[in-house]
Amino acid sequence: MGGASRNEKKRRQEAANQRLAAAGIRPPEKSSASRMPLIVVAVVLAVVVVVGLTVLISRSSGDVVPTYTASASGAVVTAGSGPVAIDVYEDYLCPACERFEQRYGDEITTALNDGQLTVRYHSIAILDERTDPPGYSTRAANAALCSVPAGVYPTYHKKLFDSQPAEGSAGLTDDELVAFGTELGAQGDFAACVRGGASAPAIAAETEAAVSDPALQTDGNFGTPTVAIDGTKIDLSNTSWLQDAIAGQ
Amino acid sequence: MIPGRVLDVVGTLARLGLAAVWLVSGVLKAIDPDQTYIAVRAYDVLSPTAVEVVAALLPWAEIALGGLLLVGVGTRVVAALSAGLLLVFIAGVAQAWARGLSIDCGCFGGGGLVDPGETAYVQELLRDTGFLVLAVWLIVRPRALFALDSRLVDTGRT
Repeated sequence: MGGASRNEKKRRQEAANQRLAAAGIRPPEKSSASRMPLIVVAVVLAVVVVVGLTVLISRSSGDVVPTYTASASGAVVTAGSGPVAIDVYEDYLCPACERFEQRYGDEITTALNDGQLTVRYHSIAILDERTDPPGYSTRAANAALCSVPAGVYPTYHKKLFDSQPAEGSAGLTDDELVAFGTELGAQGDFAACVRGGASAPAIAAETEAAVSDPALQTDGNFGTPTVAIDGTKIDLSNTSWLQDAIAGQ
Repeated sequence: MIPGRVLDVVGTLARLGLAAVWLVSGVLKAIDPDQTYIAVRAYDVLSPTAVEVVAALLPWAEIALGGLLLVGVGTRVVAALSAGLLLVFIAGVAQAWARGLSIDCGCFGGGGLVDPGETAYVQELLRDTGFLVLAVWLIVRPRALFALDSRLVDTGRT
């Protein structure tokens, strides 16, 4: 539409309004009514922001300080000493495992602290190819196993997920893995253990065992995180899986 | 000259089509918040806190845009917001492609890293561009049938 026809339209509109006014008819008040849809849109979007942030804050985990102890055998770390035992299979590079820890970490730590739960953490490295250079999953799992004799596994395990590098990146360096331990008060020769990578064969064997265990598969595939009770994989989409497990259901 | 009635029908289809896109994509993201977080994170653009906030708000923002388009309230403004969001998505996918990341866009659920041979950047960008065309139509000509706008605002037409 050109400027000329636009002016023409405006002129005709004004003329029409004048004729209406002459006949004692007021044209509809546009200013307040035309703001109505904008107000509705603004209110709806404001509700979205408020509800979204409220849900986000309510879901975010606080910081439960772990007080339980851990011991290692091969590539499996046994945490706590409660009557209910669960098996957790995690890869330190897996984003879904980071989500799992973010969502359930506090609940698990509380149950371990309270002596309700025993968790066997299986060190899994299925994403070694997803860093450049490859191998972060194994290096991180090895460092976590080193943190057990160093006495800092509970906080170190959490730290590795809180600081999880992106898939496709180089991963955390050995220096960074050592620094985390030092920061958390690792005892003994933690640095040499991390750099030595002595647990790599045990991690590979544990990974192989988990991947080939049909009881841990869904549709023929093993993935992380996987949680098993009495050797059978449980459905994590049931968000009360841990309370159910502790209640013996 | 195309009669206004035909343009109204086209506008109605654009509005309802874009509404369906937002509602479906929003619901699929809302029912799996962890997957949505992973999808947003895979673009490797935002800090962890920003990823949390975006992943928490995005599904509901999409559902809100879809709902507003469905009933036809503030169609021009909602179409403009839709176009803005689609441009952000296009920029996100384009930067992932340009940087050589291999991710699924997570546009309709899913998302995250995929094997290098499994990316679908061209299809994803074409699809978003198609949605953008719908939004631009509604910005230029928001008039459509069955819209609440025509009840909230007396346009003088009957």
